Amino acid sequence: MNDLSIVMLLAIVLCGVVLWLLIPKRKASRADASSLHSDLNEALPTARHYAYFRQIRQALSAADSEYLVHNAPPHVAQQALRERRAVARRFLKGLHEDFSNLARLGRIIAALSPEVSHKQETERFILGLKFQILYALVWLRLSTGNLPLEQLEHLTGLVGRLAMRLDTAMTEISALSAGRLPGSLGA
Amino acid sequence: MNSLETFLVWSTMSFEIVLCGFVFARKVQRILPLFAIYTCVVLTCAIVVWLTYVHFGFTSLTAYYVYWGSILFSAVARSLAIAELCRSGLRAYRGIWALVWRVLMVLSILLLARAASDAWGQPNRVAIYGTTLDRDLALASIVILAVLLLIRNYYGLALEPLQRAIAVGICFICAVDVIGNVILRNIYTGSLFSWFLTSQKSLWPALRPQIMRVNDIWSTVHLLSFMFSIGIWCFALRKPLPAPSESPVLLPSNVYREMSPAINLRLATFNDRLVELLKP
Repeated sequence: MNDLSIVMLLAIVLCGVVLWLLIPKRKASRADASSLHSDLNEALPTARHYAYFRQIRQALSAADSEYLVHNAPPHVAQQALRERRAVARRFLKGLHEDFSNLARLGRIIAALSPEVSHKQETERFILGLKFQILYALVWLRLSTGNLPLEQLEHLTGLVGRLAMRLDTAMTEISALSAGRLPGSLGA
Repeated sequence: MNSLETFLVWSTMSFEIVLCGFVFARKVQRILPLFAIYTCVVLTCAIVVWLTYVHFGFTSLTAYYVYWGSILFSAVARSLAIAELCRSGLRAYRGIWALVWRVLMVLSILLLARAASDAWGQPNRVAIYGTTLDRDLALASIVILAVLLLIRNYYGLALEPLQRAIAVGICFICAVDVIGNVILRNIYTGSLFSWFLTSQKSLWPALRPQIMRVNDIWSTVHLLSFMFSIGIWCFALRKPLPAPSESPVLLPSNVYREMSPAINLRLATFNDRLVELLKP
């Protein structure tokens, strides 16, 4: 591929990226302390996937798997294991959503702050990238059956604690901004 | 100039006049003064180039220099309009703007330095110099726009409709300019390079039709794409602009100081746990 093709391809790809970014998205909106309230409501039920963890854990337990392997006909056991993996993947996707909501909240706070630390923002950006890569790897291992389902418990416990901590913190933020926001929000 | 070129030049000038009319009727200069200046610059350049063609002839050396000068002058005005696009809307978010302008400034300096060094190595001919510089400036403009939009998207800050239309138009012009200039420069420095060498003067009569044809095609594509972008801007300005939105209400600064490290710490722990999951 010569220079001519590379530059042309680069221009087309970049143009495509710009146009894609310019398409109005539902979530992209003008950030404001007044919009924080709705974002808060959207982001705070971060434990909505985590809340189902107990049922999921039961459904995915190793004892159940063993029982299936030993007692069910092979094709039924295979089918059941496949479905359990699919459930685990959906659950992992839900946890990803929870994580994204919390990270988004962090970005909204940054957007609404009069001072922002470039160190903190760079760190959060890198953490987000790292998370995406790790999530893809975990998802891949889960799909190929190389990841024990029980290990998901560690993940969900962490998201749950994170959600609770942010819940408390955001209540404090709401209280702090109550005096500065329009009536409907401050109330 | 053939009849097609004359038609295109007059059409472009008409479009530019209509655009300038819209810009001042909607008082765009109050919110985006550099974009308003850019529209005036392109109109002025078109008039100056036209007058030069009339007075000195389409194929004269003066017309040649004035044309390339106007191209670079418009590119500079466009760059300033992009800089304004970056600033407008984000400056209200003081913390983010303080972070973003440094990133964009460093990126701009790097891209301009690259454009300058790229143009520096070219044969000392205005057309080759001009196409190289214009290509690099257009590419830099798309990169800056892409980075700006990525940052805005990351923080969930959408562009206002007018700014969005301006960005689409500029992006389209720049993309066409990059592709056109790459092809043009490739032809100039390749099969038609003899045209720029005084030692090859004997070949000039034979090359003249080819040069004219290449320039005609490029002018047609450039002017059509430019009219398309002007159409986008005129469409965005067809209705009166909405009242400028109020500045966002910012949070007390201690909220960020306390929350951000806590969030990052938690996110890092989350990643550590994912790494643990992946360990054999």
